[in-house]
Amino acid sequence: MRYGTYLVPAAIVLTLGSLACKPPKTAEQIKQETQAAFNEGYQAFKDGKARETNPYLSEKEAKENPHKMQGWYEGWDKAKADKDAADKVAAEKAAADEAARKAAAEKAAAEEAARKAAEAEKAAAYQKAAEAALKTIHFDFDKSDIKEGDRALLQGIADFMKAYPAAKVEIEGHCDERGTNEYNLALGNRRAAAALAYLKTLGVDEARFTTISYGKEKPLCTEAKEACWSQNRRGEFKLK
Amino acid sequence: MPRFLVRTFLFALAALALQAQQTEVVLSASSSAKLVLGMAPPKLSGLEEAQVATEFTAVLKRDLDETGVFAVLQERLPADSAPAKAWKEAGAQWLLSLRLARAATGELTLDASALDTAAEKAVFTKPYKADRLVPLRRLAHALADDLVARLTGERGVASSRVVFIRQMAPGVKELFQIDRDGANLIQLTRHGSLTLSPTVAADGRLAYVTYKGGAPEIWGQRRRDGAHEKLYPASGSGGMVSSPAWSPDGRRLAFVQGDRRGNSDIMVLDLDSGRARRLTDGNGINTEPSWNPNGTQIAFTSDREGGPQVFLMQDDGSNLRRLTAEGMYNASPAWSPNGAMIAYVSRFEGKFDLFIYKLGEGKAYQITTGVSTSESPAWSPDERRLVFTSNRFGSMQIFTTDLSGRQVVRMTELSGCQSPRWTRGR
Repeated sequence: MRYGTYLVPAAIVLTLGSLACKPPKTAEQIKQETQAAFNEGYQAFKDGKARETNPYLSEKEAKENPHKMQGWYEGWDKAKADKDAADKVAAEKAAADEAARKAAAEKAAAEEAARKAAEAEKAAAYQKAAEAALKTIHFDFDKSDIKEGDRALLQGIADFMKAYPAAKVEIEGHCDERGTNEYNLALGNRRAAAALAYLKTLGVDEARFTTISYGKEKPLCTEAKEACWSQNRRGEFKLK
Repeated sequence: MPRFLVRTFLFALAALALQAQQTEVVLSASSSAKLVLGMAPPKLSGLEEAQVATEFTAVLKRDLDETGVFAVLQERLPADSAPAKAWKEAGAQWLLSLRLARAATGELTLDASALDTAAEKAVFTKPYKADRLVPLRRLAHALADDLVARLTGERGVASSRVVFIRQMAPGVKELFQIDRDGANLIQLTRHGSLTLSPTVAADGRLAYVTYKGGAPEIWGQRRRDGAHEKLYPASGSGGMVSSPAWSPDGRRLAFVQGDRRGNSDIMVLDLDSGRARRLTDGNGINTEPSWNPNGTQIAFTSDREGGPQVFLMQDDGSNLRRLTAEGMYNASPAWSPNGAMIAYVSRFEGKFDLFIYKLGEGKAYQITTGVSTSESPAWSPDERRLVFTSNRFGSMQIFTTDLSGRQVVRMTELSGCQSPRWTRGR
């Protein structure tokens, strides 16, 4: 027990000390490690993942001795210079390409805008022509004959249909409030059919028209007097 | 001068005779003298007197008044000491005693009994039970219908409903349903489009025309309480499609299809096979089909002989014959539930009046008169009244009339209504 007081701490110190201290590296070991690190770094460089720092130099040391950084990788400078040059050429080419693409896109956009404008103009002209041509015609009470005065309007519609061969039109037949709901639906159908038949005689393909009857369900005017009824007995033409 | 007087006198006589003929419209259903029904205030427990007065007693009185077979006598006579005698002296032939109670659970019980005041014996006794969700007015309707059944042998129509079209906005019309007393308005469609021409099958299935897809299509229910789906055309556009009418057995739909030459024809669609058959011959306008009660004949409007007139034909298109003889514009035929009468409208001086053609007599009777128009007649299920639209208070509203035209009652104050159809099925 008496020696224990010295032996035990001494044993502990020795054990810890032997664990803490590594034997010094030999020159051969250092050379191998250095070569391994170089190889690793060179491989990384080849892979495009080059290190920017020398892991075997402390930051301070590297600052004081920049040549140690410079000389660390053999061929570093050339490879980097080559790569930089290649990158630059590529970047310049990309920039040129980009500029060309932009110019082309701008040109296309301008063309598209012009085309759209022309189209809009054409559509506006079409709408305007449609609006000018598609006038409402009117009918006498319980009649579906085309009135003398409405023939010019129908001729206008026929001219419009010929000027715009893609145009399609729905003919709506309407009635005044006098008469039953159902009979007026049938009468509105007959009025739309009368307009269709007349347009056919003016040389327009009847397949370009659809007909629909609203009977007395969609009046323009709701008072119970002839001035109102005569407005409601009508045929309307709508672009489809 | 004397000759002139004689002529005037003769003319007046003729006018009188005509008048007599015109007003002699009292038909068997409504001609029998009304039975005077004494109604003592109901005995209540668990219910407030004011609520019962408006939601039960007033509803029952209106229901009974509109049956055309009861005249209600409401007096505050003693109901206990020799009640029958006092009520008999007041003129009541039957005395209706009611006991109405609401249990703590909310359940309603109604004990109704009717006493013949002359014979002093019970003629009607029936207890009613209803859970708390059932409004008092439905109990009143059920009782009114049972009293009518007791008296006439056929249930009344107080519990029935009317389906109709109402304008929501210009160009937007939807289908609605209302109780026969004008309460309980329910919107049945939300197509946001023109929806027209409702028809109700005996089991309550609806069909109608809607323009929601642009062109008109027939929509409706294939099954009771089923979803509303397109029934015709199966694909594409069918041109002008209008005026569907369920056959009495609910398996076929008569409807109207217009062609691009301006003709409209009556068609019949078989719901099971999906096949539609044309019954009329593409000759002018044929529309407004209405089935007879056993589904063998169809009444319809046609202008094949000039103006619109009512015609009849078999359900295969044969045996075509004209029904209406007088007037330039007769339309909207509605065959009565028992098959003996056809209601229609006739135009005179710019407005329509309701007429009834009695097939047995071969004669037509005018029902409505006046400066306002009366349109779209449809029969009550018990054939005692007609529902129709009229502008007598300005906008088009729904009215009912008895078959004499004397008792015209406004059903709702809703404006912009059209095409009412009266049904027990919903």
